[in-house]
Formats: sequence, C-alpha cells, structure tokens
Amino acid sequence: MGAETALLGLFGLSSAFALVSLLLSIWMTWRIVAKAGFPGWLGLLFVLLPFTGVGSLVSLVLLWIFAFIGWPRDEDPLLVAARRQPGAAPAAPQVRGPGGQALPAPAPALPDKRGWTLTGKLAGGVPLTLTVDGSSSSWLLTGAPAARPGDLTVADPSVGQPHARILVSGSRLGLEDLGTRGGTFIDGARLLPEHGPRDISAVRMVRLGTVELSLARA
Amino acid sequence: MGDGLSMLITWLMGLGSMIMLAVVIGHVVFSLILIIPAWRICARAGFGGAWSLLLLLPVLGPVIVMAILAFGDWPNGEARRR
Repeated sequence: MGAETALLGLFGLSSAFALVSLLLSIWMTWRIVAKAGFPGWLGLLFVLLPFTGVGSLVSLVLLWIFAFIGWPRDEDPLLVAARRQPGAAPAAPQVRGPGGQALPAPAPALPDKRGWTLTGKLAGGVPLTLTVDGSSSSWLLTGAPAARPGDLTVADPSVGQPHARILVSGSRLGLEDLGTRGGTFIDGARLLPEHGPRDISAVRMVRLGTVELSLARA
Repeated sequence: MGDGLSMLITWLMGLGSMIMLAVVIGHVVFSLILIIPAWRICARAGFGGAWSLLLLLPVLGPVIVMAILAFGDWPNGEARRR
C-alpha cells in the first residue's frame, strides 16, 4: 500500500514536472517564432506535433525549415535600413535627375576654418583686437609684449604675465586660467585654474583682470 | 590465474573506454542535428552562433538556448508586434 502511494506520488510529481516544462517550452517557442515574424501559434504546432503520433522527427524537420526559411522580420524595411547602417537613420531615397539616372551624392561639408576675434578697450580707451585661428592649437594671453608666435598681448597692469591660455580644437574654443591675481571671467563667472580648460565656443564676453573682451567668429 | 584476471580487467577497461568514446561521438553527432539549425537561428537573431554549442549539455542545454532566444532582446531586431 505504501509502495503504491509512493509510486503514485512519483507519477504525479513527474507528470506535473512534464506539464510545467511543456507549458514553458510552448511559451518560449511562441516567443521565438513571433520574434522571427511568424504567427506565434506556429510555435505551438512545433511543440505539440510530437504528441499527435507523427513522431518527434517532424519537429526536427520543422526546426531545420525554421532555421533556413526566410523570416518576415528580414523583410521589415525599417530593420533592414537599421542593420545596413547601425546607429543611423533609414537610408535617404536616391535622388534621380531628369533623365532618370541617379545623381551623385552631394560633397561632404567642408570643416569650418573660420577663426575667432576678441575685441575690447584697454584702460586708456585704446582699442584692442586679438585674432585666434586654427593655425595653432594653443594661444597664450599675456600682459607682456609678445615673445612667441602664439602670444597675444593684452597690455594692462591687471593682466598676468602670462594670464590665460586659449585652446583651439576644430570648431571649438577653450579657455584656461593660469592662476593670476586679476582673475579670468567667462560671461561674468570666475574661471579658476582648477576648473581646467572650459569650452567658450558659445560665450560672448571674456574678462581678463579689468579688460572686457567680446568674443565673435571672424 | 592472477595473469588471467588482470588480462580480463584490462580487456574490460578497454571495452568500457571504447563504449564511452562511442557514446560521446554518438552524442556529438546527434547534437549536430540540433546544433546546425540552432547555430543559424542564433546567428540570425544576432547572438553569436556559438551559443548553440550549449545544446551539447544533455538536458539543460536546449532549455538555456531557447530561453536566451525567447527572452533576450535580439541584437539584429525583432518583428514588430501587430
């Protein structure tokens, strides 16, 4: 009697396990088949066919067919475009000329070679214009007379010698304070040496000590 | 007498290893029937095809591969829900 109960319990346990794994595999094949773009019930067919007496060989054949057949997902135009250019928008439609032949692609935009100007007035009302361009990646703002090609002189007692560094990288402009008493200000905000280089490409006013300079593209 | 016994044991061990080898080869060959399509499915989904080698694991392998395909996001994109 006890052995019989144990045997029944074992059957119950194994059939419960079989049922759970059957449901799980139905769920998973349903999802896989649906992700490939087929109706999900085809996955159900795949799992249930072996129970109909045709044997598990049919499932094996179906697996091979599924692996090598065309998937509706692959015909999705959005996905096709995304796969051709990862991370890019779908390809633009090709432009055709009046004769019907495809026009050549437009030339890529040239890099921006314009420089910057810093304009202001010194203490005595003397106008000052400094020009920065891409010929050097580093310019030195100093109160002393220019000693090197990259030096920009701002002859004012409040300007340090040197005072600050201007960095050029492509179409971006950076400013770095070199730790002076007069101080460097970007649009009124103090730039400290520990801030390091700051991007001033979109900045209007830079102040070195008491000298106000307005920044513009040349 | 002792010689005969050790001969028998050696012969049995040799037979056992031959059987083991045959079982392993048979398992790999049979698994290939599953691995070849599974490799292609995994690769088309965008996972590495090598994930299908998990099918060499006797019971858990197919479950793991199916779970990856069913619940992982396919790097190559999935069909949109209608």
